[in-house]
Amino acid sequence: MSPAAGAAPAGDAFEALGDPNRRAIVELLGAHERSVQELADELPISRPAVSRHLRLLKEAGLVVEEAHGTRRIYRLHDEGVEAVAAYLTEVWGDVASRFRLLAENTAPRPAAAASARKQPKRKR
Amino acid sequence: MIEPLRLSFEIGCSPEHAFTVWTTRTAAWWPKGHSASGDPKTEVVLEPRLDGRIYERTSDGTEIDWGRITGWNPPHALSYRWHIGRDAATATDVELTFVDAGDGTTRLEIVHSGWEALGDGALAYREANTNGWSTLIPTFTAAAEAPRF
Repeated sequence: MSPAAGAAPAGDAFEALGDPNRRAIVELLGAHERSVQELADELPISRPAVSRHLRLLKEAGLVVEEAHGTRRIYRLHDEGVEAVAAYLTEVWGDVASRFRLLAENTAPRPAAAASARKQPKRKR
Repeated sequence: MIEPLRLSFEIGCSPEHAFTVWTTRTAAWWPKGHSASGDPKTEVVLEPRLDGRIYERTSDGTEIDWGRITGWNPPHALSYRWHIGRDAATATDVELTFVDAGDGTTRLEIVHSGWEALGDGALAYREANTNGWSTLIPTFTAAAEAPRF
């Protein structure tokens, strides 16, 4: 019915992250794994609404569900989250290298050099 | 035949609640500008029964028919003829099915068909309705999931 979590393209993940309640769930699960009820207790939405959002996040490959005895526990899915991070790194990498080319091939005036130093530095 | 428009999405509430919000609290979630009159104070009325009318009542009391209920099976299914802003002779058919999707959630399946009634404008009207549904679904979902709504 739903695609295998690991096979979900990163595009679905970004669509899933387009909703503020789903981002809040991802942020909560980023701290530690939780049950549906624990998530519902932290959020201004009902338990069935949390279930619906979790299902979308699972289909997007961002969340996995595990059975702990009779409880169902949700946690972030490493591969899905890494796919999102890898996409952003790739896009940022292109931007960063274009910026470097521009910066290295433009003679800076004093004011331009000062503002260039304020650019956030990113490793990797 | 022109392919029916098919939509399927989930709502975080029971089929009973989803059906009730759709049919008895229509005015609360129906997007304000989505009317035949364009009157910002127009009110949407759905008569929740078989053969019930769906219409708007503008601020000066004028009633403009949008459609009529042709299938009434709460909380599982609802269907209606639909001609908002048009002559009833060009009505299309909307069928909604509310399916229990577990964990207190519902999958709402919508089939919107009968585009042939629009003649030459059928494909453009179908396309416009694709956009219409995409504005309707989030407002309905938000209302159906709202606590104590």
